[in-house]
Amino acid sequence: MEEIIWYIIAGLTLASALGVLIMKKPLYSAFCLVLHLFMIAALFALLDAHFLATAQIIVYAGAIMVLVVFVIMLLSLDGAEKKPSYFLGGLSLVAIFALFKMLLPALRDTFSVSGTNLQGDVKSIGLLLYTKYIYSFEVASILIMVAIVGAVILAKRTKKNVTT
Amino acid sequence: MEWIILLIKIIVVFNLAQGLASICVWVERKGSALIQDRIGANRAGAYFYTDNILLKPVFAVVRLLGILGIVNTLFCDAVKGLFKEDFVPKGTSNFIHSLGPFMAVFPVFLAYALIPVAPDFEIGGYKIRPQVANLDVGVLFIFAMASIAVYGVTIAGWCGNNKFSLLGGLRSAAQMISYELALGVSLVSMVILYGTLDLYDMVVKQTVLIGGFLPAWGIFTQPLAFVIFFVAGMAETKRAPFDLPESESELVAGYFTEYSGMKFLLFWLGEFAEIALLSALVVLMFFGGWDIPYVTLPGDWIGALIGHIVFVSKVVFFCILQIVVRWTLPRFRYDQLMHLGWKILLPASLLNLLITAVLKLAL
Repeated sequence: MEEIIWYIIAGLTLASALGVLIMKKPLYSAFCLVLHLFMIAALFALLDAHFLATAQIIVYAGAIMVLVVFVIMLLSLDGAEKKPSYFLGGLSLVAIFALFKMLLPALRDTFSVSGTNLQGDVKSIGLLLYTKYIYSFEVASILIMVAIVGAVILAKRTKKNVTT
Repeated sequence: MEWIILLIKIIVVFNLAQGLASICVWVERKGSALIQDRIGANRAGAYFYTDNILLKPVFAVVRLLGILGIVNTLFCDAVKGLFKEDFVPKGTSNFIHSLGPFMAVFPVFLAYALIPVAPDFEIGGYKIRPQVANLDVGVLFIFAMASIAVYGVTIAGWCGNNKFSLLGGLRSAAQMISYELALGVSLVSMVILYGTLDLYDMVVKQTVLIGGFLPAWGIFTQPLAFVIFFVAGMAETKRAPFDLPESESELVAGYFTEYSGMKFLLFWLGEFAEIALLSALVVLMFFGGWDIPYVTLPGDWIGALIGHIVFVSKVVFFCILQIVVRWTLPRFRYDQLMHLGWKILLPASLLNLLITAVLKLAL
């Protein structure tokens, strides 16, 4: 039963990732990406990592992709159609194969781990974040802070230019 | 047996969601008439007469429901929606046009899976928790579903293929992102206070008394968080005074201008299910769920039934409160909306979070 669901979700994940590339309209591509992120959350949920799945939905599908869709709609790009670039496509194909070759040993390890005792609940992730990975957590929060300050500065500067 | 229990739970909770949404529709139609000093729907079914002796009581009931407007709002409108032409505007596919109402309804009903509707009880040796899914992420899942619900509106706005719909979709996306922040932060302060993400445990934590007389309901321990959560939640449901996405005097009907028939009714259903969901969350986190102060419910099915009735009555009260607010207050201006969200609610919720965290550490 679980295996069948896994195959369905994995197939949808790949199909939606392909859809991002081959859809003609930018907005359809964006919706395919939303579906893709949702399906990755479903894969997390199948591994009993409910917190990761929920965080994936809240952060990526619920916040970042809404902004992407928002910008596409605001610029009304639905008239603009993506032109295929064979050079970039070939380049990314080579890059994907290189990446896959590099990641293959790591992937083998993950497959052997999956389904055993993965600790994906809120408590264990919280404990890990605030003890073992506290420095990277704080650095990430400072990074986001810098981005916020940068956004405020950009917004203020354009305003001044308009008034003068 | 486990599957049967799960199936019964799903049926009960899904019907509860549908039933609450239907009650909201009726209160909206008839209550708005009362507020505006009109009579409201009272004709459909009101003239049902028959000479058949056996059918007389049935027709009498239908007549009563007709005079109360229930036949019109819950039966006739649905039938009308089913038989109307389903119009798809030029430039969009039928698939993506249907995706809009689907995405507006589906996440809301999925979120009901995490709502506990009654206290635990034992029946026939089985210990039953009346909650469809008991995830350890609890209330975060509901929040995730709320953030997904934005897509229904944006897709609908984009599919209309006209400027009014697009403006409505854009406004709603901006509004929902803005108020999600205040909603989330006020939620975090409740999570810190109760020390759990599970809605059931939150209710259990509220059943005690503070100092022997005051029930430990969230409204008494976190009044500011209640105000922020309720206001931000009402903004998430996109109804007046926050109904800028569909403001009919400037945008025709906003994001669902180009929808007709059943797809239009699905937007309505999603909206009212959202109202009931917000009410259920408010009741569970701030008003003690099924808790009656100074009364301990028995642990068997009778206690669960009483608890369920208490819970549903509280939820219906908050649904009616939201509908009264919707028909009382005028619409905000766009800058006022953004000002309220970013400059009042968000700083207030952050301040509340700070105070809660400090008090939690100190006490």
